[in-house]
Amino acid sequence: MKKNDEVKKSLAEILELPKDIMLDLPKIIMIGNLQIYIENHKGILEYTNNRIRINTKNGVLRIIGKNLVLKNIIIEEIVIVGEINQVEFID
Amino acid sequence: MLVLKLWNYFRGYVIIKVEGLALERFINICISKEIYLWDIKRVDHTTLEAKLSIQGFKSLRKIVRKTGCRVSINKKNGYPFRVHKLKKRKMLLVGAFFCFFLLILSSTFIFSIDVDGNEMLEDKEIISALDELGFKPGVNKYFVNLEDIETELLLDIEEIVWIEIEVKGIKAKVEIVEKRLIPEKIDKNTPCNVIAKKSGVIKEVIAKNGDAEVKEGDIVSEGDLLINGIVEREQMEKPLYIHSYGQVYAKTYYETTESKRLIEIKKEKTGEKFIKRTLKLGSLELSFNGGKIPYKFYVTEKKSKKPFQWRNIGLPVEIIVEEHYEVNQFEEKVDLEEAKNELHDKVISKLLEEIPVDAEILNNQIDFTTQGDVLYGKVIIEALEDIAIQKTLKIEED
Repeated sequence: MKKNDEVKKSLAEILELPKDIMLDLPKIIMIGNLQIYIENHKGILEYTNNRIRINTKNGVLRIIGKNLVLKNIIIEEIVIVGEINQVEFID
Repeated sequence: MLVLKLWNYFRGYVIIKVEGLALERFINICISKEIYLWDIKRVDHTTLEAKLSIQGFKSLRKIVRKTGCRVSINKKNGYPFRVHKLKKRKMLLVGAFFCFFLLILSSTFIFSIDVDGNEMLEDKEIISALDELGFKPGVNKYFVNLEDIETELLLDIEEIVWIEIEVKGIKAKVEIVEKRLIPEKIDKNTPCNVIAKKSGVIKEVIAKNGDAEVKEGDIVSEGDLLINGIVEREQMEKPLYIHSYGQVYAKTYYETTESKRLIEIKKEKTGEKFIKRTLKLGSLELSFNGGKIPYKFYVTEKKSKKPFQWRNIGLPVEIIVEEHYEVNQFEEKVDLEEAKNELHDKVISKLLEEIPVDAEILNNQIDFTTQGDVLYGKVIIEALEDIAIQKTLKIEED
């Protein structure tokens, strides 16, 4: 499995293909600290006003902030609005 | 995302309150079942608020059972719910429709009539004539035949040669052209005198028919008898009434005086300006930066804007911007020769309007006098013209 990923990674580098599709990784876009956009997620683990945990391929993505609102949520993407202070991956 | 909001509004959505312990699970299941949730807010540890489409809400029931959450509707929002509410209040719809209908209906009536192009006739006269023909304020514009009224009015008022009634919205504009009255032509067999239409000094009398009453050098004034249509001879018993005619050339004098100030007040902008803005609502004026204009001499430029305007109708809201420019005033002496020339042109052009086209100008004379700062120009034009005009004789039958 891990070897398979290595092959995919090098293939993506050679062919200059987008890695988020090849490796099924989340694509995260932030607009300042106001909005965060996560594509390719694997579901929500925890949701409170101050902390959101989202499952992704390479671990859990933890977002810490204030007044966090799930603006938009569909099978592929999540849009979170609020005052974002921290974004981190936890294994 | 205004478009999205509008779309959601038209589709209709509900704001739901979800209570339970496994709220994350609830969201995840919603996602996997393709129920679109948006604006999810965590109210407290066990409650959550979210927006959801109507269809989504219907398919939510199964999930609710599975997750053991309690779902209640907080608020219904959007167009379908509004329509549903309105369906219960039918009279409101009827009223709105009725109001709209009245508005449309009232716009088909004529509210005011303007008359344009009349010089001799009074506005009132034309409007009352139109009134009698059935064209008056309050009449429906689709129930009057404008062409008929136009022709009828032409027949009713003889002085009108051409008429056009134009209805623009609720205003009717009546445009007319008046007849120019030409002097009455006297029939050849009707006895008449020739009299003077202007005063002047007789230069030449050509009496083609009738007895000349004046000779060269005579001074006549307006209305004097020039050629007599009553011919009396010693050997005749009764005077003979004839249709006299002829030309009587006389020198006529036209004079007028004009004045002009020799000192002109010139104004020069200093570059300083003071802007005053006024908002006008109907007849109410609200001034924003009030206060007095801080200059002694100034020129004002006024601009007004009507922001809520569509064609010639609109709200009576007007924004007036007055720009007061400070000016330096100084007096300047005008060159005398220049002033004289200017005055001369002005006077001559004014006088020429009075002189008939076929008159021959013999002489013109201009005198300038100055009194203080004012230059007066007096012009006398001497012209040679036919002053004869026929006038029907009143015959007392014996």
